[in-house]
Amino acid sequence: MSGRDDDVPHYCRDLARGQARSVPANALEISGLTVRHGDVLAVDGLDLRIGAGETVALLGPNGAGKSSTVSAVLGLLRPAAGTVRVLDRAPADAVRAGCVGAMLQHGGLPSEARVGEVVYLVRRSYPDPWPLEDLVATTGIGGLLGRPVEALSGGQRQRVMLALALAGQPPLLLLDEPTSAMDVEGRRAFWTTMRELAARGTTVVFATHHLEEADAVADRVVVLAGGRVVADGSTAGVRSAVSGRTVRLSVGDDADLTALPGVTTTARQGGTAVLTTSDAEATLRVLLDRGVPLTDLEVRGASLEDAVLTLTTGAAR
Amino acid sequence: MSPLFAFQLRRVGRNRQYLLFTVVLPAAFTVFFTQVFAGAPGGISQEAAAATMVAMMAYGAIGAALGATIRLSFDRASGWLRQLRVTPVPQTSVVAVDVAVGMLLALPPLVVVALVGRFVNGVRLDPGAWVGLVGVLWLGSAVFVALGLLLGWALEEKAAGGAIGLVATVLAALGGLWVPVEIFPSGLRAVAHALPSYWYAQTGRDVAAGGLPGMTAVAVLAAFGVVFAVLAVAVARRRPLAAVAG
Repeated sequence: MSGRDDDVPHYCRDLARGQARSVPANALEISGLTVRHGDVLAVDGLDLRIGAGETVALLGPNGAGKSSTVSAVLGLLRPAAGTVRVLDRAPADAVRAGCVGAMLQHGGLPSEARVGEVVYLVRRSYPDPWPLEDLVATTGIGGLLGRPVEALSGGQRQRVMLALALAGQPPLLLLDEPTSAMDVEGRRAFWTTMRELAARGTTVVFATHHLEEADAVADRVVVLAGGRVVADGSTAGVRSAVSGRTVRLSVGDDADLTALPGVTTTARQGGTAVLTTSDAEATLRVLLDRGVPLTDLEVRGASLEDAVLTLTTGAAR
Repeated sequence: MSPLFAFQLRRVGRNRQYLLFTVVLPAAFTVFFTQVFAGAPGGISQEAAAATMVAMMAYGAIGAALGATIRLSFDRASGWLRQLRVTPVPQTSVVAVDVAVGMLLALPPLVVVALVGRFVNGVRLDPGAWVGLVGVLWLGSAVFVALGLLLGWALEEKAAGGAIGLVATVLAALGGLWVPVEIFPSGLRAVAHALPSYWYAQTGRDVAAGGLPGMTAVAVLAAFGVVFAVLAVAVARRRPLAAVAG
């Protein structure tokens, strides 16, 4: 973002008055949000406040309500109940005012168009577009502008979608599974860009399955399950919310792993047993008593993945 | 010209098939039909030459209006409409641009076929009748813009791809644009009278004959237009733009 000539927080213009107004303390205020798709309750009375400048990961399994929440924030669906305020505006107004940029999971590019034309069109729609050269350099679409949309690879397509999301230098970015079609290198470059934007004061909210991404990029993790928030805090905080340990060891087929004290889940992956336990010491003592050899033993604290798994399965129960 | 309008126009203009089917083909048919009948014993009357020209003007304009609008289905399928919804481009101008592009693209076939009729086939009309003919058929093409938007919202991508060619062909064949309704058997004639394409061409024939478009034709066309537009809005409202999964 080298082309920006000041470090003043972003603002989006108030279309009604034609004036600039500064971003309120909360970029996003969701209260009691309920979304139904037919008979399915996708979001169930969700409350969430995200302050300006935060980088927040929305984590959760499929069907947790991540995409529905993002859609409601963007005004793409009408909630059954609850309110959503985006930078102190109704969602549709915030989008119209150019306050929001988004990468949608099921968004797309138009056929029979060139990349440069699409980027030009979207930039023109914002009151304060990002200078083209910077936008192109940051998103790495320099060689793609003259290309027909049909000729893009999956990763290139994602980069173009990112350029569209950033085209208006919006103060709030919403990214729904943004890196799903990217290779490892593309993913790394993507999150470097996100960290730079966050450092400039952009609020970044992203839904993801990739826990390592949440761990590496987000300063706050919101875990959703069954359409509700089941955990909310720093990545370290969410991890420590799960006090359990994971015990791994190589076992033979005849090893007796039933009825171990403290164990909440047991899984065998080939010759390896993976136990989650709230009391690693008691578990190991009983294993020793039963004469199970502790080959390749590994005991560690919960990863973010374990934490999310525990939290989301707990909520579903 | 709004950036979105220019953008949409460029996309359709890039499609060579579109140009072929909506402008070149009707113009070629106009020459072909007229010259074939002219070679028959007794030749071809001025009226018959004019009727062929009007029918092909209508055929071209219907194809152009439908072709420019049904493609809306592709933009729904690709997710582009959803992406556009999260930019500041207002939804109303997305719809307005689709209507405007459909209307604008109905004009070239009307003008080109009229020029072919005048200068290749020697159709003679008063200057006022020429302007009136193009003008009336242009206004009437709004009915097919509305139909195209309805189909674009209602049909899934594959069905829409087929419908672009098929609907115009059926409307033209059964509406008496290729073969005059006068030589239809009576059952088929009743079908023709139930189609907007027949009444659309009828307004053109009325003007080419030196009069005003008949009241019945105008009323039927207007009714079709209103029904298509209302249905298009109703179907569009029912289409969710949000992703349901996740």
